[in-house]
Amino acid sequence: MKPNEHAGESGSTLVCAMCTILILSVIGGNVLLNCTTRYNVTSKQIKGWKDALCAAEAGGDIAYAETRKALKNPTTVFTGPGWSGDQANGPWTYTMPDPIGTIDPATSKGSLTASVTVDRLPASAIVTTSPTPSASPTPGFYRIRSVGTARVSGLRRGGMDDAMTAAGRTNFVAGSKARGYGDSLLRKIDFQFDHFIATYGDGDGNNPHASPVPVDASGNPLAQVSRRIELISVPVLASTGDAIRTSGSFEGPGSSGVIDSYDSKNGAYNKDIAPSSSPYPAFFSDSRDANVAVGGSTFIDQTGNIYGNVTTNGATLKPQLDKYIFGTIDNTVTQTIAPQPRVTPPPSRSYEVDPTPAIIDPPSTVMVDGVAQPPNSWANAPWYHYTYFRNVIVNPVIVGGTARETYINIVVDGANNAVSIKEFLHINRGANVRIYFTGDVDMKVALFKNLNQDGAPLNNIDGTTSTNVSASNHVQFYGVSPPAGVTQRVDLDANGNPGIAAVWYVPGADFEAKGNINMFGAVVCKSFYANGNCFFHFDKQIGLGAQATDYRIASYVEDIR
Amino acid sequence: MNLTQRDRIQGFTLVEMLIAAALGSLILAAIITSAVSLNRTFAAVNAFFSAHLQQIRIIDYLSRDVKRSTIVHSTDKNTLGCWTPKYIVEAGDTDAASGVGKRRTPSIRSNSSGFVVDYYTTTQANGPRNADGTPVLDTWGQPIKTSASTVVYSISGNSILRTEDGVVTAIASSTDQLVPDIIDLGLLNAGSLQAEVSFRPIFTRLNAASERAGTTIYSTQFLRNLRRGN
Repeated sequence: MKPNEHAGESGSTLVCAMCTILILSVIGGNVLLNCTTRYNVTSKQIKGWKDALCAAEAGGDIAYAETRKALKNPTTVFTGPGWSGDQANGPWTYTMPDPIGTIDPATSKGSLTASVTVDRLPASAIVTTSPTPSASPTPGFYRIRSVGTARVSGLRRGGMDDAMTAAGRTNFVAGSKARGYGDSLLRKIDFQFDHFIATYGDGDGNNPHASPVPVDASGNPLAQVSRRIELISVPVLASTGDAIRTSGSFEGPGSSGVIDSYDSKNGAYNKDIAPSSSPYPAFFSDSRDANVAVGGSTFIDQTGNIYGNVTTNGATLKPQLDKYIFGTIDNTVTQTIAPQPRVTPPPSRSYEVDPTPAIIDPPSTVMVDGVAQPPNSWANAPWYHYTYFRNVIVNPVIVGGTARETYINIVVDGANNAVSIKEFLHINRGANVRIYFTGDVDMKVALFKNLNQDGAPLNNIDGTTSTNVSASNHVQFYGVSPPAGVTQRVDLDANGNPGIAAVWYVPGADFEAKGNINMFGAVVCKSFYANGNCFFHFDKQIGLGAQATDYRIASYVEDIR
Repeated sequence: MNLTQRDRIQGFTLVEMLIAAALGSLILAAIITSAVSLNRTFAAVNAFFSAHLQQIRIIDYLSRDVKRSTIVHSTDKNTLGCWTPKYIVEAGDTDAASGVGKRRTPSIRSNSSGFVVDYYTTTQANGPRNADGTPVLDTWGQPIKTSASTVVYSISGNSILRTEDGVVTAIASSTDQLVPDIIDLGLLNAGSLQAEVSFRPIFTRLNAASERAGTTIYSTQFLRNLRRGN
C-alpha cells in the first residue's frame, strides 16, 4: 500500500483564500450598494427634482408669452398649439403637445412635461385706487398656474437617511411640515401615486383621490416628481409711480424749483404742503412721493428740492451731501424703458371721416366690431390723424347740454427731426386725450390749456360718476420712439407763469422744461432737464389710466406642499 | 512493506513550523489590516457622501425659499431669514374661515415700482430675531411685523435648522461640522443671494483650510419676487 503522500497538505489555503475573497467582497459589495444609493439620489432624484422646476417654469414662460400678446395681437392670445378653453373669458389651459427634455429610451419621448392653467384675476382683486377698474380690467391681470413633471429614473427608492412619513405616522398627512424627514421632506418623489392629488386634490382640497403615476410598457410605475408654481402677470404701464423716470441723464430742478407730489383725489395742488405739514397735515404724506428714477450715472443737482426718493445707475449721490433730496438715495438701480411703437387704429377700426379737424367734436357713437358704442373708454375712442398738430381744440361729448367724460385717440405722423406739435392746444373739460406723435414737440406752455380739474371729474356718458380724478391723466402724450441715431425732442418753454397738466411717455426724447413752468403729472423720457424755477408736481393718482406697454411677472410662488 | 519512506515525509522541522507560522501571521495581519482599513475608508467615504448629500439638500432648501422670497436678510453669516408670500390659508390666519389649505387669490395694488401682488395683508410680529431669540425692534421699539411667512435658517449644535413660522425642522445634522455661510446678499445690485455650505470631514485631522475649501458647495439664487427699478 502506498499512502497518499499529499493528503496532509490540502490544508486551509483554499479556505483562507475564500474567506479573504468573501470579506473583501462583502466590503466591496457594501461600498457598491452605498455608492449606488448615493448615486441614485444625487444623480437621478436631485436631477429630477430640479428638472421638474425647469419644466414648470417653462410652462409659466409659455403662458407669460401668451399674456404679452394681449397688447400686440389680442385675437391670438391662448390660441396656439396645446391651448384650450373659453377663448373670451378663460380659464385657459395648456398641455405640452410633446414632452421635452432628455429622451427616455423606453418611450422615445422626453422626460419633462408641463401643464398650465391661466385665468384672469377678477376686478375685486385689483385694489389700486385710480381709476377704479371695470368688471373686466383691460389690460388684464393674469394668474398662471404651472405644473412641471419630470421622470425619475434609476432605483425606485428613497435615500438612506430619508423617511417618507414623519415619526408615528403611517401614511401621508396633510401639512408638509409634518411629513417625513431628510430628502423626502424636500424632494417629494411619487413612486406609486401622486402625493399632491392624493392629499390636496386640485390644490384647494377639492376631490383628493389616488392618482397613479404613469406606467411603462411592462406596466411598471414610472417614478416622477411634480413641482407647482404660480405666477402673476401684470401690465407694465407707461407711468407707474415715479414722478420722473429716465433711461439716461437728469439735471434739475433749478435752484428755485421744486419736485414734489400730491394726490388729486384731494383736489388741486397746494404748494404749502410739501415744505411743511402746515396747514394741511392730513395731506402731508402725499407730498413727498415724487420719486426720481434715473437710468444713467449723470445726475446734476441744481439745488432745487426733490421731495421723494432718488435712484440712479452709477451716480455718487449721498444723503448727507445732497441735502436737497428729501428721501432715500440708491445709486445702483437700473432702468429699462420700453420703446413706444407707432400706433394705428386696430384692424376693425379706422380714422374718422374728417381725421384732421381744427375743432374735434367727437361723435356720440363709434362703430366697434360692428356695434355702435359711445366713446366712453379708450377701446371705444374715435381716432383722428394729423401730420402737424397745432391750433386744435378738443371737446368732449355733450349729453343734454352737459359735457361728459369722453375718450379720444389722436395720431400725429410728423417727421423725425422736425416739430410736429406746436402752438395753441386747447383740451376742454371732460376730454380724455391720448396723443401718439412722431417728431418733436416745441410748445409755448402758455398756449396749452387742459381745462380738466383735479378732484372734480365730470360724469361719464352713461351718467355714472367718473373716477378719473386726475387732470393730468386726461391728457397723455406718447412719443413714438425714433429710429436709432435720432433723438426726439420735447421742449417746453414758459411764457408767463403757465401750468401744464399732462402725462408724458416719450422714451426716446430729450425732455427740456425751461422757465417758470408749473408742471403737473409724470414724465418718462430719455433725458430730463429743468432749470430756473420750474416746478414739477407728480400726481399720485396717475396709475391704471396710463397705457400699458408690456407685461411682466409681478409674483412668483411655489406650492411646496 | 517499506516504512522509511513514510517517516521521511511526515512532519516539519521546528524551523519550518516557525517560518510557516510567521508567514501565516503576516498574511493574516495584512488581511485584517486591509479589512479594517477598508472598513474605515468605507465609513469615512460613507460619511463624506452623506454630508455631501446634506450640503446639496441645504442649498436646495435655500434655493427654493430664496427664489420665492420678497425679502432676504442676514444678521450674521450663519443665519438667514426669508420672507415668503403666505400662499396657503393656514389655521389661525384671519381668513381661515375661507378654508384652511386653500390657495389664496392675491390682491394687486400699485406703488412706485408698478403693480405689487399681496397674498395676505394681515401683519404679525414674526420679523427678524436677534441671536438670543429676541425680536428685532423697529424705529418705534416694536417687533417688526410682516404679512409674509418667515423662514429662518440657523445652526444649533451640529444641526442646521429651518424654522418656518415657528415650526422647526432639522434639515441636516452631522458631526462633520456643516456650516452654511452667506457670502453676499447682493440685493443692491442684482437681487441675488450667494451662499456656500462647507463641512470638515471627520477624517480630516489637520484642519487645513485647503481641505475645508475642498468640501464647499456654492450657490447663487435670484429673488424672483424682488422688484426694483421698473
